Order: sequence, then C-alpha cells, then structure tokens
Amino acid sequence: MNVKQRAEAIGTFRYIEVRLMETAALWVPLTAEMEVKVLLGRHIFDFAQHADWLGKRAFELRQPEHFTRKANDAYVGLLDSLKETHSTEEKLSSLYDVVLPGLVRRYEAYVAETDALLDAPSVVILQRIATDLRRQIEEGTRLRTELGIGTPSVNVLRQKEGAIATVVA
Amino acid sequence: MQQIGYIEIQGLRLRDDPARDACFQVVRSDAEMHEYDGAGDVARRELIHRHMSNEVTSLDIAAQMLVDFPDAPWELKMELARQCWDESRHVMVLYRRLLELGGKKGEFPISTFEWSVTSALDDIAGRLATQNRTFEAGAMDVVGGLARGFRDIEDEKTAAVLDGILADEIQHVRFANRWIKKLAQLDRRVLLKVAMAIRFLSEANARLVWKPGEVNAVGKVLRDPKETIPAVNIEDRKLAEFSDDEIAVILRQAGFRSLIPEEKGLTAEQ
Repeated sequence: MNVKQRAEAIGTFRYIEVRLMETAALWVPLTAEMEVKVLLGRHIFDFAQHADWLGKRAFELRQPEHFTRKANDAYVGLLDSLKETHSTEEKLSSLYDVVLPGLVRRYEAYVAETDALLDAPSVVILQRIATDLRRQIEEGTRLRTELGIGTPSVNVLRQKEGAIATVVA
Repeated sequence: MQQIGYIEIQGLRLRDDPARDACFQVVRSDAEMHEYDGAGDVARRELIHRHMSNEVTSLDIAAQMLVDFPDAPWELKMELARQCWDESRHVMVLYRRLLELGGKKGEFPISTFEWSVTSALDDIAGRLATQNRTFEAGAMDVVGGLARGFRDIEDEKTAAVLDGILADEIQHVRFANRWIKKLAQLDRRVLLKVAMAIRFLSEANARLVWKPGEVNAVGKVLRDPKETIPAVNIEDRKLAEFSDDEIAVILRQAGFRSLIPEEKGLTAEQ
C-alpha cells in the first residue's frame, strides 16, 4: 500500500467508527433495558475515541484533520441496516456477533498487509482499537447472558458482512 | 429509521418518553413521585433511585444530541460521547449503591421531564443551555448539598458516590459553557436560540411544576417551589466557568444561600 491507499483505508475506518458511534447513540433512548443503555453508552465513547485516533492518523498521511471517507456501498448498506433493527436481541446480535467481529478481522488484515515499520503509527492504533473491540464483544456477550437476552439468528447479516471483501470504496 | 416522536402536554410540544424497563413507572408530575421527608431508609433509597434515573435520562439526552446533530463540530461530539460514558458510570455506581441499601430497580416512580423538554429543542446550543448549563448545573447545587447531608448522617459511602459524580458533572457544565460561547462567536443568532430555549424551559416549568401545598403520592406536602431552590454551589460553578455576574444572578434567585467549602470546616448553609 502507498501513502494514499493507507490514508483512504484509515479514513474509511474512521467513517465506520463514527457510524457505529451514531448507531449506538440512536439505540440508547430506544432501548428499554437500563443495563443495555449503559453498555451502549460506554461503547459510544469507545467508538468516538477510535474515530478520533484514526482522524489524527489520517492527517499525518497528507489528509485534512478528521479525514473521513465513506465506505463502499455494500458496507454502507450493512451499517444502514443496523438502524432498522427493532428488538434489543436483534440490535445486540447484529453489533456484537457480526459487525464488530468483522471489523476486528478487517483491522487485522490491514495490519498484516501494511509495512509494519513504515506504517507503525497506523498499526499501533488499529491494534489498540481491535483490543477495544474484543472487549466490547466480550461485554456484549456477558451482559446478554446475565440478563437472559436471547441471541437470534443473524446468519443473513453475517453472510452479507462476509461477502464484502473490502470496505474501501 | 426509528425515532422518538413528540407529544403535546398542556399546550407544549415535548419529546415523547425514551424507552424504560417495564419495571419502571414513568410519571409526569412531581406530585406522583415518591419523594419523602427525612433521611430514613426508604427516603434514602428513593433519593438514590431518583438520581440513578436522572443519570439514565442524561445519557439518553447526550446520546440523542449525537443523533440529531451529526454536523456538530467533532470536538463537541467527543465531549458528548465522553458524557455518555460518564452518565453510564453514574447509573451503575448509583445502582450498585441502591442494591447495597436493599433497593431495586423500579422500586419508585420516575420522571423523564428533562428529556421531554431538552430533546424537544431543535438546536444544539439550546439543548446544551437547557440540559448541561441549567439542569446539570442545578444538579451540582443539589448534589453538593446532598453529599454533605449523607455525611451528616454518617453514610460516607453514598456521600463519596455523590461527590465523585459531582466532579464529573463540572466538566459537563464547563464544556457546555465553552461551546455555547464558541458557537455564539461564530453566529450571533445562537444567543437568540439559547434565550428561546431558556424561555421554553421556564414555560414548561411554570406549567408542569407542582403547586404549593400539593400533596405527593406518599403524603408529603410540597412546599412553594421558590422555597426549595438549593443553596448555590459557588465553588463548582466557578470551576464550570460560570462568570461572577452569572453566579450573582443565580445567588439572587436562591436567596443568597450558598454552599461553603468543606475544607473550611463549615457544613451549614449560609
């Protein structure tokens, strides 16, 4: 990857983190369960911090500060579909069982592909974010177990996510 | 996309209630709340339950601002996102304390008045002025006094929880003060929006607040609202960057009663 390609990827990842922040924020007042609201409230700030780190990194790659690049149509469609989920079960499964694990894989793929020395600042940021995302997944899973919230089938969404080779437009 | 709509109450267009667990009874008037006199076990639990519920509402409000104003400056959105995290922690720490005191979620009625008023406003400066600069700043006065009250009855655990929350609230008020100023510098019409928001809040208060002598659901006679304005937490309001002139106005409204810093060895209101 050259500098431009790296910046485009980082800007796209920022777009995704901002969209996740907005989605979690949308769900907070719509979600009845207090403990779930609280979980989402904590994760809103995680996503915001990720977006902030990525925005600063993009600036170092010759882009404007907070550079954000819309993901490709297929992935935007996937993110849009989160806004249409209704039940708490569906919301949590979509986010914690599909989107976040998929994102971890995508960040790991970037880290594997880029020059780990030349692009070390991006690598460090993405590794930190991946650690956060794994924690979020674990917290989402644990809370559902504690509250007895079901895990509906999200196979359709999972297939859609898996079919998107790259998020960069 | 799902969104929470609007309702009309006493001629005011307010935001409809945010979702709550089925165990909660959401009421629309102070008289329906179960606020007790004194500092008995039930009164303490009700107070903690009420504050826990208010923190949930603050989380709802901050989150909804991120949804309703996607074009807000990024640094302001970071503050709101951080506030979401803070309010989430406040909910859980109060919930933990409630459980320690033998209480439970849904034990008392709750109100989402702050959400209904704030989230009905259609501009971000108005919401910051209403929620952060008015409700949360008012909560700084209330919580500062309550922490002392809990210390007086030797409930150090609850006092420490409230004191920790109060420190966070200062930043929520401070960033609102800073951003309202910044937004107003960019566009003077923001000041008009802020004034309209405050007028809307005053109108909502005037129509929905309890009447002196009204008796609440647990038999407490409610005093004149003017008599229940808390002592002003001058020290924390200064940290939250209220100007001396602004504090003077608030003091006048509170009958010049203020909280005296505890390190000076005084605990009474002046």
